[in-house]
Amino acid sequence: MPISAPRLVVEGLSAGYGAVRALEDVTLSLEPGETVALLGTSGNGKSTLINAIMGLVRPRAGAVYLEEDGRRTALAGSRTEAIADLGLALVPEGRRLFPKLTVEENLLLGAYRGAARALRVDRIAECFDAFPVLKDRRRQLAGNMSGGEQQMLALARALMSAPRILLVDEPSVGLAPILVARMIDTIAAVKERYRLSVLMAEQNFHQAVRIADRGYVLVHGRIEFEGRTANELRNSELVRTYYLGT
Amino acid sequence: MFDLLANAIVAGLLLGGFYAAVTVGLSIAFGFLDIVNIAHPGFIMLGAFAAWFANDQWGIDPIVAGVLFTPIFFVAGAIVYRVYHVSFERRGDAGLRGLAFFFGVLFLTEVVLLLLFSADYRGVDMPYLETMIGAGPVAVPLRMVVPFLVSLAMFAVLQLAFNRTFLGRAIRAVSQDQLALRLMAANPVRVKEIAFGIAVATASVAGALLLTIAPIDPSMGRDYIGRVFAIAVLGGLGSLTGTLLAAITLGVAESLTATFYGPSWSPAVAFGALLIALVVRPSGLLGR
Repeated sequence: MPISAPRLVVEGLSAGYGAVRALEDVTLSLEPGETVALLGTSGNGKSTLINAIMGLVRPRAGAVYLEEDGRRTALAGSRTEAIADLGLALVPEGRRLFPKLTVEENLLLGAYRGAARALRVDRIAECFDAFPVLKDRRRQLAGNMSGGEQQMLALARALMSAPRILLVDEPSVGLAPILVARMIDTIAAVKERYRLSVLMAEQNFHQAVRIADRGYVLVHGRIEFEGRTANELRNSELVRTYYLGT
Repeated sequence: MFDLLANAIVAGLLLGGFYAAVTVGLSIAFGFLDIVNIAHPGFIMLGAFAAWFANDQWGIDPIVAGVLFTPIFFVAGAIVYRVYHVSFERRGDAGLRGLAFFFGVLFLTEVVLLLLFSADYRGVDMPYLETMIGAGPVAVPLRMVVPFLVSLAMFAVLQLAFNRTFLGRAIRAVSQDQLALRLMAANPVRVKEIAFGIAVATASVAGALLLTIAPIDPSMGRDYIGRVFAIAVLGGLGSLTGTLLAAITLGVAESLTATFYGPSWSPAVAFGALLIALVVRPSGLLGR
């Protein structure tokens, strides 16, 4: 089965909150079937970039678009719900589940978009397969689950929307180290299973690079380094000095 | 003594079913949308007079009229929400100003009804409503039974809509995390607009039930403000089943009080129950 995801392109994107410049002239792309890591410590613009792609932050300049069959669909300026409807799913930082709805209801809300509704029965079975704990707790309120379970539910909920591009913002935050490794493996597994393109913002360099095909390092809102392979990232001078502090 | 008790309990159950219909619109607005719609009793009076007018002019059964008018009330509710959203909610001004807005809407509905229908009592005269049904020592008029059954039917429909449909689940989620809802490709303002329309549409039915039970006058809505808030909070915000349970509990308590201590005590029951609930179980009977 060929990968039919569109290309995601970010071109010259700048964004900021008031006088603070959170993003400065960022250009990058996500090719169909790739896993790309957005690296950098907290406060360097990774979340702002993800939020700008999803229309949650209005950029000051630049463009975001999808490219498919030679056609371009501009995203910048569109409403978040319209962007989500195009098949972009975000696993947001802090998970942002609906705490007073059950696990199952959270998953079904994931399938809200028109293209996903007809697939919901199969998808929910697949999610319960991949995350048995969610099946056991399907009638429990999402807010009563542990951090690791909530992160799984957030990922599963994003998959319920039958996305073509998956954005993941800081999946490791608040998780025990063993759960971080498991979460990263899970992301790699669902990417293969659903033939997604994945753009993942992550502070945990070693974990992110384990599954990334390539990556970008953001420093103070700029792309300071582009690693065309995972090895280039590992061996980068910049990563060693600025990022790993060695 | 036993006959009196049995009759009081059955009458209370029926009354409680009616209270549930009166409260459910507020439960939707307050519990699901965080909108303190103090004007809800005003919408109910509009519904009651619309049903009376249909009955008076065209001889339509008031409850049938109440159901037929729900689309009009839905649209009116959606418009009221739009105005509220643009004027207050979007500016982050929803708290006190929003409350004042709905207070104004309440008075507006009352004044409009006074101008149109004057302050006289209006009632409907449907012969079938006087039929008594019962078993053993208990006997109740259809005037009370029919509203009870219609209310239960309305609850069943609403429960299905809120629990089994995509839009219904989005309505229950919208006050929990609007940003997350947008990530699910749902527009929160649109979702709330539809939900508020549904809430106001229930007032059309509830008003018709009120008219069926007793004669109405334009200022009657005010008598219900305290009671509907008490029931909504007692049941637990965000739970329609809780609303139904709380309404029936209150109906029975009021009926027993009226029977054994005198009707003048029954208004105290609602607030007594509310005070006890706020101390013992602040999240309500079924609140989460």
